[in-house]
Amino acid sequence: MSEHFIKNIEIKNFKCFEDFKAEGFGRVNLIGGKNNVGKTAFMEACYISKSNTIQNLYERLLEIDSHRNIINNLILNKGRRQNLQDLINANKSISIFNQKVYYNEEMDDEMTCGLTMIQFEKEIGLIKIYTHKESIEMMVDDEQDKITYSRLIEILDIYFSETSHKFTQNFISQYSNSNEELENIIGQSKLDNKYDTLNKYLLEVFDISNIDIIKNKPMIKSNGDYKELSFFGQGIKAFINIVSSILTLKNDIIYLDEIDNGIHYTNLDKLWEIILTISKEQNVQVFATTHSKECIESYARVAKKLEDEEIAFIELCRREKEIKAFVYPYDWFIDEIEQEHEVRGCL
Amino acid sequence: MSLRIFVEGDDDKKFIIKLLNDLKQNKEIKVQDNINFNNYFEVMGGKKKLLDNNHEKYQRIASKIGFEIKKALFIFDCDFEIDDKNCNGMQESQKCYSDLIEKLNWNIENDVYIFNKNLDYFLVETINTKECYEYFDKLVNCLDVEKVKPNKKPIANLYRDLYPYPQFEFKDDRFNPIKYKLKNLFKEPI
Repeated sequence: MSEHFIKNIEIKNFKCFEDFKAEGFGRVNLIGGKNNVGKTAFMEACYISKSNTIQNLYERLLEIDSHRNIINNLILNKGRRQNLQDLINANKSISIFNQKVYYNEEMDDEMTCGLTMIQFEKEIGLIKIYTHKESIEMMVDDEQDKITYSRLIEILDIYFSETSHKFTQNFISQYSNSNEELENIIGQSKLDNKYDTLNKYLLEVFDISNIDIIKNKPMIKSNGDYKELSFFGQGIKAFINIVSSILTLKNDIIYLDEIDNGIHYTNLDKLWEIILTISKEQNVQVFATTHSKECIESYARVAKKLEDEEIAFIELCRREKEIKAFVYPYDWFIDEIEQEHEVRGCL
Repeated sequence: MSLRIFVEGDDDKKFIIKLLNDLKQNKEIKVQDNINFNNYFEVMGGKKKLLDNNHEKYQRIASKIGFEIKKALFIFDCDFEIDDKNCNGMQESQKCYSDLIEKLNWNIENDVYIFNKNLDYFLVETINTKECYEYFDKLVNCLDVEKVKPNKKPIANLYRDLYPYPQFEFKDDRFNPIKYKLKNLFKEPI
C-alpha cells in the first residue's frame, strides 16, 4: 500500500458522524450501507482530510458543498442555495475532519503531523484551521455556539473572497458529468497521453468507435457519424468520467459517488475490471459508494478473477445514533459474498 | 437485532434453511416474507473449525457481536468417539462447546443444538418410508459396513444420492428440540 493512501480515518462531529473510526482500507474500497447512513459523508471526510493547504481545504469543502447543493436543489426543485443539509444536520456542530479529527479537544503533538483540523472555540468565537503546512485563525462574528457546515463555508467564502468553483477530477458524482467537466477531463487525457487508452476501454464496453472534443464539445462517433455526448445516456458519461479521471491521476485518491449510477448491470464487470487495472497502474486509491447488490457482487467477482487482494469493502451501519464501519478485507469480503450475506448495512 | 447460526458445512445450512422455511410457512416464526435466511448463517468448514475459538471467522465476526449480532446458535454433530476422543460423543461435544463459549467471551445470548451421531443419521431416522429404511439398515448391518466407515452412515449417503432434494417429515416429534431452539432464536423481530 502506497504511503499517500488513506489507511484509516477518525471522524468527530462531522455531518452524521459523532465519534467514528475505521481502519484497514485497501487500494480500492467500495462502500455500502442503507440510505442516509453517511456513505457520501464518509467519502467527503476522507476527501477533506487530505487537504494540505488552507486554500486546498477550502476548495475541497466548497466542492463537496457544491455536489450536495446540486443534489439538494434537484430534490427541492429550487434554484437557490440549499438548506436541506442544514436540516438534516440540525444541531450538529461541524468541527474537524481528518484521519485524526477533533472538536474542542487538546491537540496531541504526536497526532498533529499531517493533519487537517478545524477547531471551533465557542467561548471566544474563534475558528482555527490547521493543515500540516499552515494554519489560519478566524473570528466568528456571531453568538452561535455551534458552527454548521453551511456557516463554515460562508465564513471561508468571506475569508477567501472567492465563490467561483470548478469540480476537480478527484470527487466524481453523477452531477459532475456536465459537458464542461467531460470536456476538461477528455482534454486532460489527451495531454497525459491517455486518450487512446480511454478510447480503447470505451470501445470494449460501448458500441461506439471514437470520442473526441470537436468545436469545444465532447462528441462521440457512432455508426459513422459524430454526435454530441449529450445525445447519449448517463451510463456512457459516467463511464467516461470515471475512467478518464483515474487515467489522468497518478499517486492520488479518487472518490466515486454512486459509482454504478446509469451503468447497466451487464457492464459492471467490465467497469470494475478497468478500475482495478488502471488504479493499480496509476497507483490511485479508489473510494466508491453504491446501493446495488449487483455492483457489489460484480466487484467481488472481478477482484477474485484478477486476484486483486488490495481491495476492501466498507459496510456502514447505524444503530440509533452510533455509526460503525465494518471494513472487510479481500478474504472476508469474498467469503461474505459466497455465503450470500447481505453487506449493504446491518440487519 | 440480528443473529447468527454457526454450522459445520453447506449441507447443514441447507437443511436448517429448509426447516426454517417450514417454520415460516406454518407461521411458527414471524419473519418478513422476503427474508433471506442465508444472511444468518456462518458455514465454518467442519466441526473442528466450528469449535476452534481462534478460527478467523470468529475473529472477524467479533467486531459485530453486540452491535449487530445479539444472539447465536451453534449447530453441529456429536459424531463418533472412535474418530476423535477429544470432542466427539455427546458429553465431550458439550464440553468442547462450553469451552468455546468461554473463550469467545461474547456477551450475547448463545445456544447450542448437537445432533446425536450426525445430521445424516437424524434425517434418515425421520424419513417417511421407514420400511425401506429398516431394510436398508438391515443390509448395512449385515455387511458390517459401520466397522469400516463408522462416521458416515452409508444408508444416509445412499438416500441422499437417490433423493438429492428429499422431503423431510418435519412433523416428526424428533424435530421438536431443534425447532424449539430455532423458534427461540427468531422469537424477536429481526
